[in-house]
Amino acid sequence: MESSEEDGGVPLSRMAEWRDVTPLRQDDGPNPVVPITYKEEFRETMDYFRAIYKADERSPRALRLTRRAIHLNPGNYTVWHFRRLVLEALNTDLDEELDFIQRIANSNSKNYQLWHHRRWVIERLGSNARSKELHLIKSILSLDAKNYHAWSHRQWVLQALGGWEDELDYCRQLLEQDIFNNSAWNQRYFVVTRSPFLGGLPAMRASEVRYSVEAIVVNPNNECPWRYLRGLYKDDIESLVNDREILSICLKPSQELRDAVVALWTSDTRPLDADLATAICDILEHVDSLRASYWIWRKNKLRIAA
Amino acid sequence: MATRDPLDFDVGVEVDEEGTPSPSSISPPSSPLSYLDRDRHVAFFEMLYDLMPYHYQSQEINRLTLAFFTISGLHLLQALDRVDKDRVANWVLSFQALPRSRAELKNGQFYGFHGSRTSQFHPDENGVSVHNAGHLASTYCALAILKTVGFNLLTIDKESILISMRNLQQPDGSFMPVHVGAETDLRFVYCAAAICFMLEDWSGMDREKAKDYILNCQSYDGGFGLMPGLESHGGGTYCAVASLRLMGYIEDDLLSKNATSFIVNVPLLLDWCMQRQAIDGGFQGRANKYSDTCYAFW
Repeated sequence: MESSEEDGGVPLSRMAEWRDVTPLRQDDGPNPVVPITYKEEFRETMDYFRAIYKADERSPRALRLTRRAIHLNPGNYTVWHFRRLVLEALNTDLDEELDFIQRIANSNSKNYQLWHHRRWVIERLGSNARSKELHLIKSILSLDAKNYHAWSHRQWVLQALGGWEDELDYCRQLLEQDIFNNSAWNQRYFVVTRSPFLGGLPAMRASEVRYSVEAIVVNPNNECPWRYLRGLYKDDIESLVNDREILSICLKPSQELRDAVVALWTSDTRPLDADLATAICDILEHVDSLRASYWIWRKNKLRIAA
Repeated sequence: MATRDPLDFDVGVEVDEEGTPSPSSISPPSSPLSYLDRDRHVAFFEMLYDLMPYHYQSQEINRLTLAFFTISGLHLLQALDRVDKDRVANWVLSFQALPRSRAELKNGQFYGFHGSRTSQFHPDENGVSVHNAGHLASTYCALAILKTVGFNLLTIDKESILISMRNLQQPDGSFMPVHVGAETDLRFVYCAAAICFMLEDWSGMDREKAKDYILNCQSYDGGFGLMPGLESHGGGTYCAVASLRLMGYIEDDLLSKNATSFIVNVPLLLDWCMQRQAIDGGFQGRANKYSDTCYAFW
């Protein structure tokens, strides 16, 4: 069984259990470029790893060695890969492996290899692991509600193992905490369009329009609900443009709403009201001066299209 | 007339006497290099080229990527004369995973370039090289470095790379970076497209499938997530658009063409990209996040 403590600091060359192993130095060729001045502990650990890996020794001490190497270099996909081979060979308790990953994640929550490894473990544990996993991802998101890896993993868990039932409500909670969280808006769209329990976008559109309009009214300068609203009409811009409720929102003066009105005209599916659109471009050119050139270009495009 | 902010690189818009802006020919901005302390940056890259401090050991697995940034950085700063190009080329070539025979190319492994010496071993007495760790991103970096230093890519064993690269493409069109298993996302579609583009040979991938995967990554707001369903992201958007361009599905200067439709929603994409510039002038990777230098590149 793997020790839960790190092998702090003791050189492998001084450990009795490694006496029979000859460490394998890296061969960087005669004239290496960007050579790294490895610290002694790192160099030694990797030299022993090379030896064990080349010999393909899938033993408990190999497992401990991969843990040591992962602590030093959590991005090393070769070490993670070999660890998986050893875990399989030893038929190790994968729930313990989840604990190990969690400890590494505490200081490496944005590491691709770690999340992939976690996925590999969950695939083997199956749907029993589902609720614990969704719960864990929530705790990571509670520290950083926009962690891209965590969201990616969450979407994978939902699609592979299910658990959709509470997801829309989870999005609502996150948006209550921070209405500006674009990750939560994106997840909401994901759930609305893909959950097997909600009926898809057509069934959900009316209520989602109300939800996003409410958010817009509270914070008209929040880009997220505007884009979300437009996204609800993805292949049906006509309906968006003809919606009275949305039109009334747009009549209130605000930066973002002007953007949205002009965004409607990015589609060429209806005749352009050239004067209004041009006027809006003029306004935007001045109030959104960072993008002045863009609004000038948009205005000129209107003229060409008219 | 007010003096222009020196950091204003935006397209110059000429203003006529009445103050009405009119589209005009773009006046070339003053060289961006005049805003950088070029010599210090060159010195920094030269230092890394010769020796990297121990802080980089956690990036050991990505040695070739570190080399790519270093060499490419010197190249961009017009200081490539500081490196020994033959030395660089030979070192990069030593990372290639070579098959013993053509038959091995169908064994499921990827015969590209290793990213580091973590697990690259000399073939043993029987000529057996074990543990092939060829990686798509390392291969992209390797080829990019070779091209940058002027090495003739036609002289490398490109067939091994291209034939075995097909082993990495997934049914949904995405790419896995190593044959032993890893995450699949737009980054590796981009690496694959860049590899084929540099080798001038598209037999390494099914472009149609890759295109379909990319299109599935376009979010409701116009940007691209790294995988279908994920939040639109600056890096993902770059990988998507660059890949489509490299593969030939979109052309340069899309906006000046009067096409009525493109395979991606271009106006929405453009609007999303424009909105990524934050009030501090930098670019954010996602809506309502802080700006970061890398997103200016993406």
